[in-house]
Amino acid sequence: MQGEPTVGLYVHVPFCERICPYCDFAVVAARRLGPEREDRYIDALLAELERRAPDFAGHSLASLYLGGGTPSLLRPESVRRVIEEAQRHFAPLAPVEITLEVNPSSVERERLPAFRAAGVGRLSIGIQSFDDTRLQRLGRAHKAEEGRRTLAAARAAGFDNVSLDLLFAGPAPQAEPGGEASEVLLDRDLDATLEFGPEHVSAYELTLEAGTPFAAAAQAGVLRLPDEETAAALIERVEERLTAAGYERYEISSYARPGFRAVHNQRYWLRAPVLGIGMGAWSSEPPSPGAPHGVRRANSRQLETYLERVESGRSPAGEPEPLTPAIARGEAVFLSLRRREGLAAAGFAAEFGAPPRHFFAPAIEALTEAHLLTESTDGDLTLTARGRMLSDSVFAHFV
Amino acid sequence: MTEIPRERIRNFCIVAHIDHGKSTLADRLLEVTGTVSARDHRAQFLDNMDLERERGITIKAQTARMKYRAPDGDSYVLNLIDTPGHVDFSYEVSRALAACEGAVLVVDASQGIEAQTLANAYLAIDAGLEIIPVLNKIDLPSAEPDRVAREIEEVVGLDASDVLLVSAKEGKGVAELLERIVERVPAPEGDRDAPTRALVFDSWFDPYVGAVLLVRVVDGRLSVRDRVRFMATGSEREVQQLSVIEPYPCPVASLAAGEVGIVVAGLKTLAEVRIGDTITSRDGPAAEALVGFREAKPMVFAGLYPVEAEAYRDLKAALEKLKLNDSSFAYEPETSVALGFGFRCGFLGFLHGEIIQERLEREYDLDLITTAPTVRYRVVPKSGEPFEIESPAALPEPGDLDHIEEPMISATIHVPSEYVGAVLALCQDRRGTQQDMAVHGSRVQIRYRLPLGEVVTDFHDRIKSATRGYGSYDYEFMGYERAPLVKLDILVNGDMVDALSLIVHRDKAHSQGTELARKLKEFIPRQMYEVAIQAAIGTKVIARTTVKALRKNVTAKCYGGDITRKRKLLEKQKRGKRRMKKVGNVEIPQEAFLAALKLGDE
Repeated sequence: MQGEPTVGLYVHVPFCERICPYCDFAVVAARRLGPEREDRYIDALLAELERRAPDFAGHSLASLYLGGGTPSLLRPESVRRVIEEAQRHFAPLAPVEITLEVNPSSVERERLPAFRAAGVGRLSIGIQSFDDTRLQRLGRAHKAEEGRRTLAAARAAGFDNVSLDLLFAGPAPQAEPGGEASEVLLDRDLDATLEFGPEHVSAYELTLEAGTPFAAAAQAGVLRLPDEETAAALIERVEERLTAAGYERYEISSYARPGFRAVHNQRYWLRAPVLGIGMGAWSSEPPSPGAPHGVRRANSRQLETYLERVESGRSPAGEPEPLTPAIARGEAVFLSLRRREGLAAAGFAAEFGAPPRHFFAPAIEALTEAHLLTESTDGDLTLTARGRMLSDSVFAHFV
Repeated sequence: MTEIPRERIRNFCIVAHIDHGKSTLADRLLEVTGTVSARDHRAQFLDNMDLERERGITIKAQTARMKYRAPDGDSYVLNLIDTPGHVDFSYEVSRALAACEGAVLVVDASQGIEAQTLANAYLAIDAGLEIIPVLNKIDLPSAEPDRVAREIEEVVGLDASDVLLVSAKEGKGVAELLERIVERVPAPEGDRDAPTRALVFDSWFDPYVGAVLLVRVVDGRLSVRDRVRFMATGSEREVQQLSVIEPYPCPVASLAAGEVGIVVAGLKTLAEVRIGDTITSRDGPAAEALVGFREAKPMVFAGLYPVEAEAYRDLKAALEKLKLNDSSFAYEPETSVALGFGFRCGFLGFLHGEIIQERLEREYDLDLITTAPTVRYRVVPKSGEPFEIESPAALPEPGDLDHIEEPMISATIHVPSEYVGAVLALCQDRRGTQQDMAVHGSRVQIRYRLPLGEVVTDFHDRIKSATRGYGSYDYEFMGYERAPLVKLDILVNGDMVDALSLIVHRDKAHSQGTELARKLKEFIPRQMYEVAIQAAIGTKVIARTTVKALRKNVTAKCYGGDITRKRKLLEKQKRGKRRMKKVGNVEIPQEAFLAALKLGDE
């Protein structure tokens, strides 16, 4: 990192009105989030911020991300409190990207102007799909029409930096009579996306996470996902259509119009410090003499444990995970390579004492020969198109 | 101490299904005879390592000597002899049975006869033992003694009215059983004045004294400090310790014909022991050894290779150690083009091989690749002397071959009559020739001549599944026979993988090649490149399949907290690759090398 040190603040809000069957995030079901429960949680968040901020002393705030869970369930004044406190602890690096994840429901839609007034500048809207059947199949609570209205309301409230989440390659509909092909459904979702024209799109292939109802259903043979060939074709289709419409695929699942890359998200792939507060949140603490590659730390995933620890003045974090040079090198490679720019040899050498080739020559040679990786004359590494499709196979060579 | 008269000795074993109460009954016999009290029983004793050390010898088998005073006032010595239990060790079972004159057949009064019991009962009947049928667990509400007694009569051919009703748990019928054993089991025969002959029927390793032998003295007697000769190995030793098991080892000065006990004779490792060997005295030896000795020779061979080449030395050291405790296992270094440096190992049977492999992986923490088991073929070249090969890779080019001979066995199979058809079909499929078939009530004894190569892997399992577990089989080696055998090779992206070659019958080559290629396709995961799998005989490709190239392997989301988890998933993926062998540019998982075992599994 060059210039003055910065921090990204991640604020986890675990509450959801219902839990999606594919989700394995740290979430808590709260049919209606009462003000008492909300205030208690916000108080804990701010107490934790107070406690942790000194670990990031001298860092200015580059981004603030309210994720979840469903942070849009919070009252706008709660969001305002968090934003104000964050800027009190860390000098804002103008302009700070402040993102709020939003669920497309009517209550939250009405609050959008107030969120904007509270300081939110960017919305990440969990649209997932514009097809009712598909939404239902994904176990989402909202209808396609609510999604459309939320998008319109975002613009009406003055948000000019909107990201939209798409979830594709979901439960294979063609398995059912009259079901349409995944490709057709995706195309329709892409049509609707482009019609709205967000600044940013995160397009994720549905992943079966262990322990989720979807994983259990797939195991039991009840749930069928598109096969490998189809899923690959869908990934290619997303890239083809979004890039044709002027979006840049700047990370494996992230597309942005020029100037609208997600500042906060990029910190993870660049291994920049992030302070995560809230239940289950992770932090990447900046390098220190004792831990030259930083330390990763996770908060308790149990709401009560998290609250009790913070309220009694204790740390809600578990054992810190110091990043050894070998681990850090592996992460540097696989996180950087997710980005379009890939891994810069000079930056890598500055941190680890030698360029990637010094540590990974056989892997680099095998992977370039297999046309999965490109190595520039300076030793910079980027994934090829095929490498992006097989990125985990590539990454496994470096961990 | 006065010597126990022969006619006051009874040697017997208990035949039972695994949870039909064999141990409980054995414990109860020990208690009722006053050998141990209910409190101080054997299991507790075994847990007490210090005591064990004090006594000097570990006890492995559930063998025990009991003193029994009959109601008429006469005293007897009853030796309960333990028997091991699988077809690869059927020879060991047969030696343990040879040490007995009777067997108590225990059947659960509610469960009825289970397959394993029947198989062992057949062995006991074949060994000429007096069978005492017992219905156990008659205290259970679900007990159906009449039905199960009839079943014993129908299936085993024993008189239903003769069946004893016992509840080992409550001690009911145990006194009657003891009396029945004395009454029915013949006293051991043998001449105490004849030259000494003692049967070694079990052995184990003790870290303090080396090999411990369990013997049945058949003629004459063994005394401490006797100079003895092991007739099969020819080695000569001095008897250092003699004990009887009561159920602690209890030192004695001598063991006379008819008695059972422990011998320690300065044998350092089990490799120096042969089960079934006859101990005789060095001065005044017996003219002939006891009948039935068989050299436990490896019959089945497989390559064992470390997954990672660096583990070769560890594997070698582990094999050396295992060999100390298992004389029936053999190994020698072998090199494979595909797998690198490893060992060709010889086992008594397939199960024995699996046990060794499991011990190597578990006790020595080794990651191994095992090749498909094979047998020892005799190769007769066009010029030069015939020789034997234990690996398909060692087979000369077809042009240099006059012919190949394969090892043959005579298999004796016992089945309840309703399963005869299924067993005959299985034997025919395995290129068997029927020798004879005899019906004993509802049990049928079938004898088949079969190529050993057709039975080494799954024949036992197939017999079991064709007979719902009621069938059992044993085999005897019958020498070599010429057969039209060919070597089936597997090519992966054009490279021959020597470790996957098989020797098969010409008539089966095509179907086996096709199936093997198909099985391999299931085992070999998609990789960066398309993988072509071919089965070939000589230069002729007989089957071909393709594993398509991996199309997609990508993690959609990777943010904050997920990084550690994603990294661990990648590490796992990498470990998975490390456990695979790279042949050319193709990664082949360990299991694929055993794909040949899965042929015909549909």
